Amino acid sequence: MDIELIEIRDFLVQHHPFDLLPDEAIERLLSHIESSYSRRDQVILEVGQPCEHLYIVRTGSVETRSPDDDQILARLSTGECFGVHAMLNPDKKVVNRATALEDSLFYMLPAELFENLRRTYKQFAYFFAPLGADRLRDAHAHGAGADSTDQIGLISSKAEDLVKRAPVVVESGASVRSAAQVMREANISSVIVCDNKRLAGILTERDLRNRVVADALPVDTPVDEIMTPNPITLDAQALAIDALMMMTQNNIRHLPITREDGQVVGVITNSSLVQQQSTSAVYMVGDIHKRDTFEGIAQVVQRIPQLLSTLVEGGASAHTVGHVISSIADAATTRLLKLGEDKFGPPPVPYLFCVSGSQARHEQTSVGDQDNCMVIDDAYDEVQHGEYFKQLANYVNDGLNACHYIYCPGDIMARTDEWRQPVSKWKEYFTKWIELPEPKALMLSSIFFDLRGVWGDMNLLEPLQEIITEKAPKNRLFIGHMVGNALTHTPPLGFFKNFVLIHDGEHNDTFDMKHSGVVPIVDIARIVALEGGIIAANTFDRLKAGEGKVLSSSGRRDLLDAYEFIATTRLQHQVKQILRGEAPDNFMKPEELSHFERNHLRDAFSVIKTIQGALANAHPTS
Amino acid sequence: MWQALKGSMLRQRWLSHKAAGSPMAGFYATPWIPRNTPVQDIEFVAVDLETTGLSPDQHEIVSIGWCVIRNMTIIYGERGHRLAKPEKDVTAESAVIHTLTDDVLADAPPLCDAIESFLPHLAGRVLIAHHCKIERDFLDRACRNCFGLPFEMPIVDTMGLEIRTLMRRNGHIDPGSLRLDALRNRYNLPRYKSHNAMLDAIAAGELFLAQAVHRAGGTGKLVLGDICV
Repeated sequence: MDIELIEIRDFLVQHHPFDLLPDEAIERLLSHIESSYSRRDQVILEVGQPCEHLYIVRTGSVETRSPDDDQILARLSTGECFGVHAMLNPDKKVVNRATALEDSLFYMLPAELFENLRRTYKQFAYFFAPLGADRLRDAHAHGAGADSTDQIGLISSKAEDLVKRAPVVVESGASVRSAAQVMREANISSVIVCDNKRLAGILTERDLRNRVVADALPVDTPVDEIMTPNPITLDAQALAIDALMMMTQNNIRHLPITREDGQVVGVITNSSLVQQQSTSAVYMVGDIHKRDTFEGIAQVVQRIPQLLSTLVEGGASAHTVGHVISSIADAATTRLLKLGEDKFGPPPVPYLFCVSGSQARHEQTSVGDQDNCMVIDDAYDEVQHGEYFKQLANYVNDGLNACHYIYCPGDIMARTDEWRQPVSKWKEYFTKWIELPEPKALMLSSIFFDLRGVWGDMNLLEPLQEIITEKAPKNRLFIGHMVGNALTHTPPLGFFKNFVLIHDGEHNDTFDMKHSGVVPIVDIARIVALEGGIIAANTFDRLKAGEGKVLSSSGRRDLLDAYEFIATTRLQHQVKQILRGEAPDNFMKPEELSHFERNHLRDAFSVIKTIQGALANAHPTS
Repeated sequence: MWQALKGSMLRQRWLSHKAAGSPMAGFYATPWIPRNTPVQDIEFVAVDLETTGLSPDQHEIVSIGWCVIRNMTIIYGERGHRLAKPEKDVTAESAVIHTLTDDVLADAPPLCDAIESFLPHLAGRVLIAHHCKIERDFLDRACRNCFGLPFEMPIVDTMGLEIRTLMRRNGHIDPGSLRLDALRNRYNLPRYKSHNAMLDAIAAGELFLAQAVHRAGGTGKLVLGDICV
């Protein structure tokens, strides 16, 4: 009779990745496992020696150091593995020296069994595959799972995936009647008009109704006269969610999708989007555009917490979630602007309504403060046009507030006179902020340098972006101050990579996932963008575009992964709170996390710490 | 005189001669490990007995657990456990300690069968036990009753080892601090919640590894004679 090794078994199944193994694998493991003991300071694995086991720390702690420069690679405590490099080495020689930091007991898994388990159980293999930042990536892949639901399907799919059929084309010069016949035969609601195989325009049912039938034009009118010439198009490789946003923001129902060479691959209609998913973000955006009152829009916006949980539970990445939630805010904003323009009449001079902060970065995760402003054409005349824009701005800000995008406590809103100005004034602002970086200017820079136009004449933003991309990279003092600002939020890690927790009563024994995790990376990305003259506002886009200029390729990759991991972990925390009926916050208790997640969060925080250190070195404060 | 010869080749040969033809023949035919053998080259077997009480005269063995140590590594796969049916009823008091009740033990083989199948696991090895007096005395009584022969082999007592270490430091010894759990805690070994002969044998084996590593110090050299009873 054999009594199973309950204590060892219980220990293993509580620790990652052994918790991924089925019972029969654990049984096999228990019949082959061994253990050994080391005194404090004793070398357990010496470089170059053969290593026939994977080591798991049962009690005590171990440190591994690289043989070349004796750099500490890792400090391992209960439940963590070492000797992994040697195991993955074909000759099974020890790669890094492992030394006991305390009296320690280890479990040892014979190499052969380890290989066998890795071959048999993919997730187990996944854990060990690559180390360090690579493992962080895998950690995320494991946690997030595949983008499986319809909800996510749309978001991770490409624009071209939504194209149902090859484009139906009529030649430029054809009659409206022949175009209508082609549409009837193919049973479609739009045709592409081509001139010598180049996209010339698009003709839709709506055009036939509004421009031909309603105006009683002859049916032999050439299509060129009633089509929408040079329509908005989207690259085939763009995300489907971008198609959705482009269509709702421009209020179009047909979006031609083009390849790099300009060839049309097909047309996305809003029905293809709706078919793809009915209950989701797309539907909500569409719904917002049907509402005519503040209350109506607010009703749709209220569903954001449910949308958030659907997205997060479906395994959407933080990047995707931020994009989708921000697109709802965009929809509410544009809808209010349209309603405002209906109410107060068309704008007397062109203007652009811009959003800043997390909405501008496409990183909203909840309904929060509004941050916005208006950039008006230089033809603006205070006396003549001032009242119009003031009314419109007030209307939109009030509307957003009614939709729970509450008034910005710092008055960063279009209704504030200072933030509703013509281009020339904005140029002055931006120049001053960069050239005279005082504390207030730096605060405003970090808000307004994350800027995105959502409605109006997009060209108005260009002169401002030019100032930023030209002046900021050259102004060392300004960048230096921004770096100093960015270093005020630090990850909650102590000297030995232990978590440093808040002790303030209300959020006792927690750490702040926003201010000590997300914000530091957002700040770093902003500096990367400012230094590199990058226009993008999104943290991912900034970091991606920043490669080679400011960030090293590995630093960029590590930071992107750290960001995704921290942001996703934060979202999961918030969704759990939403599902429990609590108000979501950013304060996380380490116990909420599995051992595995804690380790990776530690990795992610230490990536931030490293890059913050590099930034501080590159920009010594004077 | 027997004391002087204990552990010697002569004693083992004499017992081997006496045991010829008995169920202990195999056990005694294997030579004992010489006292100058480095511990890395020795196969140990950590053993724990559960008994109905502390006196070999009045009480009985109800279970035996063991686990092999080779190359100073616990080989959990080479472990074993035997139950033995006691001749007297198990008292409620002792059942609480080892959680084995009459029901569980009713189907167990008689002690002599259990011992006979256990002895091959000891042959040619060194026995490790915590407070080995219990294991040694109960096994000796069982072997004499069953086979008419004494139970003798090289033994390491983890409690005795600790006492020697403490005496060397001239420290005061609090008896409570010598309990298996207390010692394991001192060596930073995990706390085991459950107790049975198997797990306690493993617990003693792990404690032995820790003690040996500490005793060997920087040189890493340790021979059986340094640690044997």
